[in-house]
Amino acid sequence: MANSSTSSRGLAGTTLRINLSTGEIKRYPTDEKLMREWFGGRGAIAKILYDEVPRDADPLGPENLFIMSAGVMSGCFIPAGAKIGFGSISPLTNGHGDSNMGGHLGPTLKFAGYDMVIMSGISPKPVYLFIDDDTVELRDASQYWGMGSLACEPAMKKDLGEDFEIATIGPAGENGIRFSCITHDFGRQAGRTGQGAVMGSKKLKAIAIRGTCGINVHNLDKLTEQVTAIIKRTQTHPNMAPWQKYGTAFFIEWSNDNAVIPTRNFQTTYFEDIKGISGDALVERCLITHKACFGCWMNCGKYTKAVLPGKETVYLEGPEYETGALCGSNLGMTDINQVAYLNWLMDNVGMDTMSGGGVVAFAMECFQRGLITTDDLEGHTLNWGSVEDTEHFVDMVVHRRGIGEYFAGGTKRAAEKIGRGSEKFAMQVKGQEMSGYDGRYAPGMLLSYMTCDIGAHHNRSWTITVDMAEGRDKVEGRAKVVVYLQHIRPLFDCWCICRLFWGELDIEPEEIVESLNLITGWNIDAAEAFKTSEKIWNLVRCHYLERNKANGRTFDYPPARSWEDKIPTGPSAGKGLTKEQIETMLDEYYACRGWDNDGNPSREVLHDLKLDFAADNIEKIGLLGKPLPNGIPAVRGERYKPKAF
Amino acid sequence: MIIYLRAGGQLREKLKPDVDHYTRKVEIDGEKTIAEILKDISVDSAFVALIHVDGKLKDLSFKPSDGQTITLQPPVSGG
Amino acid sequence: MQQVFKDGMEIKRIKVISGKCSGCRLCMQICAICHYGEINPKKASLRIEAHFPQPGVYKPRVCTQCGKCMEVCPEGAIYRRDDGAYIVLVEKCTNCGVCIPVCKPGVIFQHRDLDHVIICDNCFKCTKLCNTGAITIHTRPVKESK
Repeated sequence: MANSSTSSRGLAGTTLRINLSTGEIKRYPTDEKLMREWFGGRGAIAKILYDEVPRDADPLGPENLFIMSAGVMSGCFIPAGAKIGFGSISPLTNGHGDSNMGGHLGPTLKFAGYDMVIMSGISPKPVYLFIDDDTVELRDASQYWGMGSLACEPAMKKDLGEDFEIATIGPAGENGIRFSCITHDFGRQAGRTGQGAVMGSKKLKAIAIRGTCGINVHNLDKLTEQVTAIIKRTQTHPNMAPWQKYGTAFFIEWSNDNAVIPTRNFQTTYFEDIKGISGDALVERCLITHKACFGCWMNCGKYTKAVLPGKETVYLEGPEYETGALCGSNLGMTDINQVAYLNWLMDNVGMDTMSGGGVVAFAMECFQRGLITTDDLEGHTLNWGSVEDTEHFVDMVVHRRGIGEYFAGGTKRAAEKIGRGSEKFAMQVKGQEMSGYDGRYAPGMLLSYMTCDIGAHHNRSWTITVDMAEGRDKVEGRAKVVVYLQHIRPLFDCWCICRLFWGELDIEPEEIVESLNLITGWNIDAAEAFKTSEKIWNLVRCHYLERNKANGRTFDYPPARSWEDKIPTGPSAGKGLTKEQIETMLDEYYACRGWDNDGNPSREVLHDLKLDFAADNIEKIGLLGKPLPNGIPAVRGERYKPKAF
Repeated sequence: MIIYLRAGGQLREKLKPDVDHYTRKVEIDGEKTIAEILKDISVDSAFVALIHVDGKLKDLSFKPSDGQTITLQPPVSGG
Repeated sequence: MQQVFKDGMEIKRIKVISGKCSGCRLCMQICAICHYGEINPKKASLRIEAHFPQPGVYKPRVCTQCGKCMEVCPEGAIYRRDDGAYIVLVEKCTNCGVCIPVCKPGVIFQHRDLDHVIICDNCFKCTKLCNTGAITIHTRPVKESK
């Protein structure tokens, strides 16, 4: 048997390297040093991409790698330890890209005996990756090619067996739409940074995994004791019952009350018809069952159906907060069934609902302003709140028909082609569309988007309540909180566990690090974890600079709407930021990180993080940061505890 | 009459629980809305994302009755 | 070895409410941890059956204590304990698998690491971790000896 049934210390033990061009499959023992120093998941992905992908490689070409990593904690009986990370050079941002999802795929990969699968090349014909314990094969996928994500999964389960865990892409990924997602478990997505497009470019339709091995951990007795205690303690936590009932969707109304919900492509931050798309509406009108990821007792997933007159009834998971905001208020949808239907539509064609919502909203605003017309849309309109129009437009994009071709690259590329001032309201940073929060009256949130390593995404740092506690008119002092959050939140993506139980159920980072030690036997502390996270952050930054060859600062600006337009309506009417305030935040942020004013990491900070090789590399292209006059801060991103509000 | 407020996270610290780790007992005179009650104990209602009473969602204008437990949830840490 | 049930004794088993299950499989993890010291849901003595995309429901499959496995066991390796559980005598079990097809809920399993079958032994660790109330302990007093 190639895999022993158990391996040591939280790892399954084997890494697969697959060359899709030749079909060659090789097994290697998992590099424990890489796992220890880079924490697996996002960290290991960042290091491998940095080391192995040529700087001029096309994200959708054969030299790009497509990596799937289950981290060190996934599947290890840790609360919410269900994630799997996907990584590659992002076709949206042209920098390091990673995205993760819950469900059952990550743990199952480890139960099959593998920590990581690294795929290169392009398959000559559509294939899917078949893993059944020791059997690893690339199998013909021509019968599934062209199928929607949500249709492909049951078809494959029927052919292979119910106990296979399956991840698929839809037609969007096959056609290289740059914001395509990977779908698993009938509605769990790794949506951001276009991982589905990379999978499609490699002609990899799906991944099917079954595993029967176990995972050995360092100290199972203590881990079981600790995890059982956490579960018992949190069962009576006040957030538990509402959380189980609504998931993140309850938050839509709060977001509206506090003027952060993006409405009609971020034109305003207040949506009049919010009741129709609220969490309450979701539970009352659409809910079928609660749905949890592997080993998670919080079950925030909501399995629903959407019933719309004249449309087939569809079954889906969601909409959760982000989809509710970006395919709801951001498109002017007034009924939760409309949002759910669009959620299903995008899931099935294999588009990220967040970027997809952003792209459709951008197109709708272009239509509103006359920049695109019914002539461009095959005779159709593209009006706010219209499911029919959205459905037709999505079809044009997925099949790259006519003007759909422009939008297939995301809002940034579409704005470059449409021009005529549309760049101002292409709501993206570095090519990736913004998440479901408007940052104009939440400056920390805007800074989070601007400085996020994979383009505008809330997952790295989310500061709405910090902005409220510290004063929403003030921009000073926000940078250090953003840096702290950018260190702690990506740690969950490294370890491949969910971050929501930390935020919602008052579980301290120290407790999670303790679990990590019980699983791995590493004996690290929270400070070391944060420093490793900072190392990953800086490496990703250097990688971005090396690929895009310009000062970092030039990439860190949001679209001009963020400072040119004040919020027109709602509780924050008249509020907004100035260009100077945005510059101030960036200055502060770079100083906090030990980067120079051009947004380039200095040698001192890279040396402190043992990244001298990266410093040498960016020095060669003239992008090493100048030494800071007063040296680098000793603590970058000090621990933030919100002051009482 | 007496009502019980429960909260976790940042809200919990502001609530100053006295019954158990999460719960605070509050005495109120006559009928009051949750907004008024929170104002009396100086908790900023902007940080309350959701109000949950007996498994049902309520808003700040809800007037609790004697002995009821009101669960307040702060906003999630982002979608 | 055959257990005689008397008045006043209590038979316990797992009770299932399908609609409440959210499919997290904590039950399967803790089951394998308690019995085999390993995180491996395939060594659990219960399963969560997922019915997706339609109708969209999780159905936990647990031992109903029907006793068919004991009836067909050619080795006499399965007996009934006084709490109602059917216990596999691992030293007698030859892993022949005759009991597997007769199990209606389909909760008798073989695993390549083990030389005996896996059957629920009523430890109820799973019910203690279930956070949705989908599986609970069901207690029934014995009315008469049988």
